Amino acid sequence: MTTSAVNLRAVWKRFGKTEAVRGIDLDVPDGSLTGFIGPNGAGKSTTIRMIMSIIHPDEGSVQVLGADAISAKDRIGYLPEERGLYRRMRVMEFLKFMATLKGLPAAGLDARVNAWLERVQLTDASKKRCQELSKGQQQKVQFIASVIHDPELIILDEPFSGLDPVNARLINRLIRDLHDAGRTIIFSTHVMHQAEQLCDRIVLINRGEKILDASMTEIHARFDPRTVQVEPSSHNPADASRLGALPGVERAQWNPERHAAELTIARDVDPQDVMRAAIALMPVRTVELRKTTLDDVFVELVGEAMPSSEESGNG
Amino acid sequence: MADRMHASPMRRIWTIAFREFRHTVITKGFIFGALVMPVVMFAAIAAIGMLIGMQMTPVAGTLVVIDESGTVAAFAAEELTPEQVAKDMQEALKRNSALKGWPGSDVTQQATASLPSIDVKVESVQDATRVDELRAKVQDGSLLGLAIVSPELLNANPKDAEGNDLTYTLIVPTRSAPRLTGMLEKSIAKAIVKARVQRVGTDYTSLQALLTLPETSVRRMSTEGAEADENAIAKTLLPMGFMMLLWIATFTSGQYLLTTTIEEKASKVMEVLLSAVSPMELLCGKIVGYAMVSAVMLGMYGALGIAGLSAAAMGDLVSPGMLILMLVYFVMAYAFVSTMMASVGSAVNDLREAQSLVTPAMLILMLPIMLWLPISEQPNGWIATISSFIPPAIPFVMVLRVTASNEQIDTWQVVLSLVWGFAWVGAFIWGGAKIFRVGVLMQGKPPSPRELLKWIRMA
Repeated sequence: MTTSAVNLRAVWKRFGKTEAVRGIDLDVPDGSLTGFIGPNGAGKSTTIRMIMSIIHPDEGSVQVLGADAISAKDRIGYLPEERGLYRRMRVMEFLKFMATLKGLPAAGLDARVNAWLERVQLTDASKKRCQELSKGQQQKVQFIASVIHDPELIILDEPFSGLDPVNARLINRLIRDLHDAGRTIIFSTHVMHQAEQLCDRIVLINRGEKILDASMTEIHARFDPRTVQVEPSSHNPADASRLGALPGVERAQWNPERHAAELTIARDVDPQDVMRAAIALMPVRTVELRKTTLDDVFVELVGEAMPSSEESGNG
Repeated sequence: MADRMHASPMRRIWTIAFREFRHTVITKGFIFGALVMPVVMFAAIAAIGMLIGMQMTPVAGTLVVIDESGTVAAFAAEELTPEQVAKDMQEALKRNSALKGWPGSDVTQQATASLPSIDVKVESVQDATRVDELRAKVQDGSLLGLAIVSPELLNANPKDAEGNDLTYTLIVPTRSAPRLTGMLEKSIAKAIVKARVQRVGTDYTSLQALLTLPETSVRRMSTEGAEADENAIAKTLLPMGFMMLLWIATFTSGQYLLTTTIEEKASKVMEVLLSAVSPMELLCGKIVGYAMVSAVMLGMYGALGIAGLSAAAMGDLVSPGMLILMLVYFVMAYAFVSTMMASVGSAVNDLREAQSLVTPAMLILMLPIMLWLPISEQPNGWIATISSFIPPAIPFVMVLRVTASNEQIDTWQVVLSLVWGFAWVGAFIWGGAKIFRVGVLMQGKPPSPRELLKWIRMA
């Protein structure tokens, strides 16, 4: 039986007249890598802060690792959206300080910190003051601070923001390693392809409400592909209107970058029939049923028009 | 999983406290500001004294006194010997009431040691027609000065026709130092008086002895009938010293607490900390950490003060009971100041915003400084009694009262101030913790005092 690392029941949080979180129910399975996605100001960071017991819900209950959030603090690692370090503290000292706060004994701390610095390629930084590091290096130090105590649950709020591609790949690999080692990871982002690449489960939050909570497999099954991409041999944009006239096609659009027509298919039509009809209509180079992306799901559920940010600093 | 210990609240509080202490005390800023700066200031004062002494040029030359009687010059010569100048200075310093009770001889000896060497020859001229010739000598610098004494000045009643005091004229070169001019001025004036006294046939030394004001020995009698020496210094300066010690020790730490809380909020490290500790643990850790900083300052300056009093043979002015009460009031004062500073620091975004929130409480805390004289002079007066029950000024006023040596404070008042004061400390901590809990995660516009009250209710 799958147990839940995080369990939220009918959780509400208000800031003055703003309802940041509106009656969310949530179960994050043990050992999962769950992505919290949603537009800016959707309530992601507020939900995370309640899981971390940094703020408390106005209504509802929050259980983390089978206990209340406060007593589980030592078993949780947290990388907040807004990064913060003691500027004048040295890297080694800062990481030891955070590890001590998280309950690690003093013995063996140096070795543990050094091992992590080596993993993130920051071995030279241990004696440097935090203010001497680049933004990317500071972010890696913060990442270490959130995982140094080997937590069972790791919450990462926008872990890739501000990282160059090389460092983003490094952190991506570390997150996968932690997941492979059995840790439960909650990963918040508004960049869909990152979530799609990393997560096995997605929770979509919009305007303080959970509007999607499913595994990636379930999402792919539920949001079956409705776009057929046809690349005519002629590469003639006029072919798009001919393809648009096929039965079951609701809309046809020419994609000049791919030299292909993108056909949106009606819900009750089998895509295979449209693909066969396209081949029969004209000589084609490729015909492809496009896979549903998280972007597509997001746009379908949230809509093109994003809500304006209602709570400053909170996602 | 890691070999994790359970991080108890006490361990977390201590970890935070130790970090705050270490990163405040073992820093160049603290070492310079709290330790080196006072030493530098004392050294600078001593160095300035030495430089003034080194700059002294010897006083040598001739002073001419135009006086028909020919008596003033001889007395002026007596007054301008190095021994007499030093003696006059010592007497002047001893007469200064502010220095009574201090090791006065040291002060006067130091002061006279800084006198320049004196070799002044006084020449008497009875022919008043030589004035122009002697003026020219003063002008070209070959004379130290020229004193013109009219015969009427030596009369028993030296007044003009309108009844005004007569004056004598002293002409000095343009480059004459003010200190030298003053010395000549006083010496000639005294010489004129001596000449006048001699003319009426009286002995100046006997007359001076007759006119000397006696020293006063004030004995203060308590209501129980016991008598004690009155000590002006103990009565006024000692309570102020104790109160300022308390003020410096608590406000230096309070200022650190305010700025570091604002910094942690601005640098976003606050949320990282709050993922590991509760707001209450963070607040307690910070308060304990800066309490240690405060204790270091109190211990350091307090020990210096007591050592200074002992060196001046005034150690008996500070009783052990006084010191214990001082420590208790220090705890109270620090609790008031630190809670206030931490909660304000958590609620604002920068020091400028903090200033407007702290000002009302600071006005109350300025009360003991503004009222130190009436409180220390009359520690049982109505001003002292009323102000010692106004939080958060309670500990500062009470320290003024209990260290004022001239009156005993009723025990019930001390006990009541402790009970009342610590009850208020509890209220401050309760409200401060609530503000801190809400404030640390708040960004944007700083709260008004009314909003702070709302935070206390909602947290």
